[in-house]
Amino acid sequence: MTRQEFIARLRAGLAGAPEATKNDVVADYQAHFSEAAAAGRSEADVAAALGDPERLARELKAEAGLKRWEAERNPEAAAAAIFAVVGLGAIDVLVLLPVLVGVVSVMCALAIVVIAVFIGGAVMMIVGPFIDGGAEVAAHVLAGLGMMAGSVSSGSLLILLSIGLINGLVWYGRLHYRLLRPAIDPPKASRPGEFATP
Amino acid sequence: MPESVDIQLKKGVLDLCVLAVLSRGDSYAYEIASRLAGAIGMGEGTIYPLMRRMQAEGLVETYLVESSSGPSRKYYRLTAAGHASLAAQKSAWESFAGAVTSILGEP
Repeated sequence: MTRQEFIARLRAGLAGAPEATKNDVVADYQAHFSEAAAAGRSEADVAAALGDPERLARELKAEAGLKRWEAERNPEAAAAAIFAVVGLGAIDVLVLLPVLVGVVSVMCALAIVVIAVFIGGAVMMIVGPFIDGGAEVAAHVLAGLGMMAGSVSSGSLLILLSIGLINGLVWYGRLHYRLLRPAIDPPKASRPGEFATP
Repeated sequence: MPESVDIQLKKGVLDLCVLAVLSRGDSYAYEIASRLAGAIGMGEGTIYPLMRRMQAEGLVETYLVESSSGPSRKYYRLTAAGHASLAAQKSAWESFAGAVTSILGEP
């Protein structure tokens, strides 16, 4: 792979990242090629040692996605973090998807139940006394309030649980950054001895 | 997926090594990478994501230095947080390495 090819593929892989970040990353690798050229290394050798530019781009984008989730903690950032980790290929999608779909469906179902109980509680509190002739007003109001309070607390638990779940996913993704493996254990082209300082 | 002990060890100490190199003087990515590639066999591609992460965490900061040959170089220097992190990681490493060595040395 030539220097131009490497940079073009890296740039393409970074599509969607902020322009400033993209330029920054590309400048780093351009500088690397220049330094290596000054040290008398061939472009192909350097490109091979740097690894797959698409994977490099995926990992840089993933880190940005995970950072955003840590900073923002909203559903949109959560989705971005999940896609980032899946995009890394850190988790086998075929293994992850059924699990994720199952967990998300259960959580959605629980959320619907929680909302239904809340509305049910409100209805019982407000409408109940009128239907039953108003004999047990206090009982209805108390029961309705109880249902609403219960649903609010289980709703909060549900949200905490989902945040924990996504945090776990982020942690797992970071553990499995694939870039570090080939990079730490360099391909033959860049065995330590051949890596000359300018 | 099981990784070799070797790779796991390197992953763990990479941050520490970069901080240590920078504590002896500001440097640029290519130079840091070549120091570590020779010493612990780290791949040169690893350095850029690592430096970006350390910069985002506030451990290092960058400045540009004009170069007589070619474009200006981006130098990295340790921040106060970087020095603190180095001190903490260094003592953790020393006590860990000491403990492992003494266990290995037991008859």
